[in-house]
Amino acid sequence: MRVLLIEDDAETAAYVVNRLKAGGHGADHSAEGRDGLRLALTGGYDALVVDRMLPGFDGLVIVKTLREAGRQTPVLFLTARGGIDDRVEGLDAGGDDYLTKPFAFSELMARLNALVRRPPLAQVKTTLRVADLEMDLLGRKVRRGAREIDLQPREFRLLEYLMRNADQVVTRTMLLEHVWEFHFDPKTKIVETHISRLRSKVDRGVERALIHTIRGAGYVIRAPS
Amino acid sequence: MASFGLAVAYAALFTASTIVLGTIVYWTVMDSLERQMSARIDAEVDLLREEFVAEGLPDLVREIHERADYFPALSYLVTDAEGKRLAGNLPSMPAHVGWTDIETDPASGGSVEQNLRVRTVLLGQGVHLAVADDLNPIEEIQQAFLSALGWGLAAFVILSLAGGILLSRAFLQRVDVITRTAEAIIEGDLHSRIPLRGTNDNLDRLSSTLNRMLDRIGDLMESLSQVSNDIAHALRTPLSRLRQKLEIAKANVGDDQKTEHSIDAAIDETDTILDTFSALLRIAQIEAGTREAGFRRVNLSTTFENVADAYLAVAEEQGKVLSAKIDPDLQYWGDRDLLTEMLANLLDNAIRHTPAGSSIEVKLADHGAGPVATVADSGLGIPLEERGQIFRRFYRLERGIAQPGNGLGLSLVAAVADLHEIELRLEDNAPGLRVRMEFRNAASGKEVGRSDSPSKHRSSFGSLESSAATPQAAGR
Repeated sequence: MRVLLIEDDAETAAYVVNRLKAGGHGADHSAEGRDGLRLALTGGYDALVVDRMLPGFDGLVIVKTLREAGRQTPVLFLTARGGIDDRVEGLDAGGDDYLTKPFAFSELMARLNALVRRPPLAQVKTTLRVADLEMDLLGRKVRRGAREIDLQPREFRLLEYLMRNADQVVTRTMLLEHVWEFHFDPKTKIVETHISRLRSKVDRGVERALIHTIRGAGYVIRAPS
Repeated sequence: MASFGLAVAYAALFTASTIVLGTIVYWTVMDSLERQMSARIDAEVDLLREEFVAEGLPDLVREIHERADYFPALSYLVTDAEGKRLAGNLPSMPAHVGWTDIETDPASGGSVEQNLRVRTVLLGQGVHLAVADDLNPIEEIQQAFLSALGWGLAAFVILSLAGGILLSRAFLQRVDVITRTAEAIIEGDLHSRIPLRGTNDNLDRLSSTLNRMLDRIGDLMESLSQVSNDIAHALRTPLSRLRQKLEIAKANVGDDQKTEHSIDAAIDETDTILDTFSALLRIAQIEAGTREAGFRRVNLSTTFENVADAYLAVAEEQGKVLSAKIDPDLQYWGDRDLLTEMLANLLDNAIRHTPAGSSIEVKLADHGAGPVATVADSGLGIPLEERGQIFRRFYRLERGIAQPGNGLGLSLVAAVADLHEIELRLEDNAPGLRVRMEFRNAASGKEVGRSDSPSKHRSSFGSLESSAATPQAAGR
């Protein structure tokens, strides 16, 4: 994917750009709001990573201008604020996701993948499928092969999120935000516990597991290669 | 001398307006009196002129003799073409035809000194007629009026000055009290407050509002200075641990596995420090009260069910039983994310600080006076003497010191509760701890506008039924 990073802190910018390029992605960087906006409008990027606090410029302006110009390029906000209102502000302005500095690169990458892969709104799926695991979104039923799997509502939601992002790593915080709507970091291992329960239901007694833990990054559901 | 200046300014303003008023009255009265006099003289002249035209000079002379006897108020003079006096009591004929003011000399035949207004006309055949009226009565009125105005004005100035000084002194004394209080605070006496009179007048209400403002600022400052102290104390330990780990990593250069291990440990330690920082910032932000802008109607029941549901499996995993008894459809005015975090912290705490085999119960109900929630555990409880302190930042029970945690979870709970007007109480669950939350600010009073908007993802699923969070789920 091609990513534009609008960020005034040179060290953070260099770190992100280098890691993106090392991962085989295209990455451009702008350290200034107006220049960044110009690039964003003309550059044809797959995703934007925008710092909220640019010198003399609020990153919100960039996403507002983009949306007014009819561009739907996904935007992920970065911020160093301890701000608890920033998430709502950013999403209200038309941003798609939000990450507080400092962040691990794996977290940023997982979120970018989720943003870029997100299907257009019009395209509504009623069935999700990963290998022989099938989820019927309307009937709210899950089958692995011929076996029907009985899930609690929250487990269903967890599995749905994993399957919608199949083959992509999703992080613990992404799961907390999307499955439980927890916008903070609980001290107890909520995600770990639920993943292990889900795993015991989905992968139980099956040779090839679908749900994998990626150490230091998160979880992924994928068909065995 | 500010009070005197204010009084003088008011007195000057009142005096000026009185002078303007007096002048207008004076000119109106004087003008009217002089018009009356002129009209009388004109009428007399017209009458005598007709007499002269109709009857001739001798009749005019006789008429004037008679009039001088009957109307002593007016004076007359008739002269012939040679200027000889034919009749009348005016000492002399004015030099010009028309209006003249003359002064009579008491020595030359007049009784007393008189100021006269004279109208002189030429009747024909060189005969001149002069009719005069005494100006003295008008001048006396003028004198009396001016002196009355003068005395009145003097009294007015004195009264308004005295009154002004008294009033403004009383007012400014109270302003001075406020100023002195403010100066005392600037000097560093932060607990100084404006004394109230208890009269509930404008100044008293202003003072009381200022006092409340000062209290609020004081609280915020205290919270701020506590945060800085806390940071200094609480971060020293993890920072020195971080340094140790980096030193170990440096010493292990060459041994890839050991180096990686030490670096991972250092990263973990850094994350802990960052977590502590962001927790502190969040608490400070919540305490500053700026979050109220994000308040809307929250379905407390689904919020509680959501959190309880998230912790069911965790509790079970750790050999504890979490049960929830949540009445449906209880509403509250607040911030759903913060309320979620508050309950999550309480459950985190209950799960982490109770021995295996304990039971934890969440309840939410409304018995009429607003929603009441409790989180009760059957653990070790909190000693009475420590209950007052556990909401303080970084406070940790002595027996819990070895457990992981930064001692900020309950401070955040207290901050959220405070922001939401939730009364938080610690009770003895015999055995164990019961945290009781009384929701004071019922949502029903604030139904204006916005409602709790479900997030994008929530819309794809119905909300949890309340049974999902009850023991049936916990017993799996």
